Formats: sequence, C-alpha cells, structure tokens
Amino acid sequence: MQLTGIDLLFWAAGFVAHVILLLVLWIRRRVATFPFFTILIASYIIRTVVLYFTAGSKHAYLLAYLSLGSVDLTLQLCVVYEMASHVFRPLGNWAPDARVRLAWIVFASIAIGAGLTWLSAIPPEHTLLRTILIRGNFFSSVLMTELFVGMVALSVTIRLPWRTHAARIAQGLGFYSFVWILIAAGQSYLGIDRSVRIYADLTYFRMLTYLICAGYWIITLWVDAPVPKALPKEMEEHLLVLQRHVGAYLQRLRTMGR
Amino acid sequence: MRATYFFLVLSVFLLALLAIVVHYYRRRIRTEKYPYGSWEKLLGRFSAVNRENLALIALSLVDEFGQRREDENDADFDEAEIWSMIGGIKGLETLERNCAVLVDLVFYVQQWYPEALAIAEQLRLNAREIEWHIGRLKSAAKTGRAEKAFAEHAEEVVVIYYVMTRRVLALYEEWSLPGLLELQRTL
Repeated sequence: MQLTGIDLLFWAAGFVAHVILLLVLWIRRRVATFPFFTILIASYIIRTVVLYFTAGSKHAYLLAYLSLGSVDLTLQLCVVYEMASHVFRPLGNWAPDARVRLAWIVFASIAIGAGLTWLSAIPPEHTLLRTILIRGNFFSSVLMTELFVGMVALSVTIRLPWRTHAARIAQGLGFYSFVWILIAAGQSYLGIDRSVRIYADLTYFRMLTYLICAGYWIITLWVDAPVPKALPKEMEEHLLVLQRHVGAYLQRLRTMGR
Repeated sequence: MRATYFFLVLSVFLLALLAIVVHYYRRRIRTEKYPYGSWEKLLGRFSAVNRENLALIALSLVDEFGQRREDENDADFDEAEIWSMIGGIKGLETLERNCAVLVDLVFYVQQWYPEALAIAEQLRLNAREIEWHIGRLKSAAKTGRAEKAFAEHAEEVVVIYYVMTRRVLALYEEWSLPGLLELQRTL
C-alpha cells in the first residue's frame, strides 16, 4: 500500500497527539478516574504503530485494522460505561430511575444501529473482509453517537449534572462519532478504494476531526475542573441543627405510628 | 434505489439526533437558569384554597408565630365544621400539592439568596409532615376510623400549612423581594 506525504503527516500527528494525551492523563492523575479512556488512548498508540508496520501488505493491513477495530469498539463501549457511571452513579450507587432507562437506550441504540447498517448499500465488487470493515465502522459510529445523545437526554431528564472532565470526554467522542457516521455512510456508498479521490478526502477529513477532538481533550483534561462551591460555616451549622430536629421529629412520628 | 432509501433514512436519523441534542441542551440551560420554572409559572401552579377558613382554623389552634395556644379560643370549631371548611380529603390533597409550590417558591429565592436554604429545608420537612398526616388519614378512612383520625391529623395539616404560608410571606417581606403583593393575594 503506497502512503503519500499527507498520509504520513496525519499518522505522525495522530501518534504525537495520543502520546501527549496519555502523558496528560498520567501527569494530571486522571488515570484512576478514567481508566478505560486511558486504555483506549494507549490502544490507539499501539494501533498506529501496528498499522504503520503492516501498511506494506494490503491484506495484512485490513486484517490488523479489522481486529484492532473490534478492540476499539469494545473499549469505546467501556468508555461509554465509564462516562455513564460518572454521571448516573455520583455517590457510588446507580440513580434508581437511571438504570432501566439506560438499558432501554442501549437496546434501542443497538436496534436502530443494526437497522441502519442493514439498510446501508455496499458496492458489489467488495470482498467480505471489506464489507465487514465498512459495515462495522458504520454500526459502531451510529451506536456510539446514539449512546452519547441518549446519555445527555437522560441526564437532563433526571437532572444529574455532568462533571467537567467526563463531559469533555463525552463531547469529544460524541462529536467525532457524529462526523464518523457521515464518513462511514459515504464509504458504504463509494467503497474504500484508496485510488478513489473522494475516499482519501473523507479519510483526511475524519483524521482532521479526530485530531481536533484529541487537541480538545489535551487542553480540557490538563485544566483542573472547577472546585464546587463550599457551604458557608454558618449555613452548615444551621443544617446540622435542622438535621437533629428532623431526627427528633422522625422519632416522634414513629412513636405515633405504633 | 436502496442507496436512496438509505440516505433518506440516514438524513432523517441525523436530523432527529441533532434536534434531540439541541432540545436537551436548551432544556439544560433553562433548568440551570430556572430550576423550578419562572416565578409566574411557579405561582400559576398554586391551586385555589379558602384562605379565610384556613386562617380561622389555624389561628384557633396556634398564634401568628405558630405557637400552640394555651388558652381557650372563641373560634373553636368541631370536627364536622373543620371538615366542611377545608373541603374534605380533596381540600387536604390540594394543600399537599400547594406545599410543593411553597417549597419551590423559597427555592426560587435561594438561587440568589443562599441564606434561604434553611427555610427551604424547614419547609421541605413541613411538607413531609403534611404528606405523612394525609397518608394516615387516608389509611384510617380505609379501615373506617376516619372520624377518630380526623381530629388528630386534619387539624395538624391545616396548622402546618398555615405556618408554612406565613414563613414564605415573612421571607419575601423581610428581604423586600419582588412579587410580594401577588403572594399576599394568593397565600
């Protein structure tokens, strides 16, 4: 497979962006908070290296891309779970009304994603491997976008706020997945023949979008999240008094109930 | 042909996703700005109650500050009178719904005056008390002991509700908040 100068430039930029992002996660101690996201970024570094060395053989490249793509989808789903647990499990337990609704969002997303993937058209001259690749890309992009949109809608409905860093990671992944849908849809219609100009342009556009997202993560994950407002001492004492009052009153109500 | 359908369905799907994102984004901003809706909408949620009757019953049991009266009062009512004055169980349920509005009215103030937190918490506790008393009354009605339970619980509901309304009015009056006149007319 022939790589042009611009191909190599995008690969190098992607590699550097991921290494910087991984360093940011490590230095700013975000690894413990976002372990799956860190693994995802580390896997992208490995992927870039593996794909670079398999680029000489078309078949080996496709096989490597496909197998690493499945790992990518699994890790992305783990990141979705990570974001969901940050938003819907703020105090260590799942919000009671979030669990069932989240399950519905997941099922609906899989069903719609599968339906759209089935409907997508594949150029007949493509091999099975390429067809799986195109359909897999399209399905995962639709699924990821739906999951992020669903999570945003659910968090607003049950009024659970997004913590700053989790929100930034989700925004980046959600935006990239949305753009990826358009590109994957284009690929499913036009095919993935690198000699076709439009395919190369779509790939560059996807890479550029991803680099923008990676830059966004580097900046936002480096910056500290705003510190929540502390309760004034006087008000804290007031609440403690009220809490004691509630406790005593509750005791009285229990006695009355007997 | 299949490609046409695919792109058509995909366009609808993407537009729907965008619409959902925009809708919820705007809703989040609105919720952050007015967590309990605008003040006018809040007041609009208030159901009409017979304020004079409520004040008469409450003031026969407590003073203006919510303290229990020790002395015998002229305006003492028997159970049947109180029942008809407050409109029976339906009237009590209206008071229960209005309690949520009273809490929200104070929470509305709390957004700009964090000091109102203690009053909001107190009103939440009062609202919970009212809920508990009405729950007891309903259970008693099911087992045919409504009459005995009524004296114990309905009077409590009226007193607590009346004190809650005075607290909200006092808060708006003390800090000269806008909307006091409307509140005085409504509560």
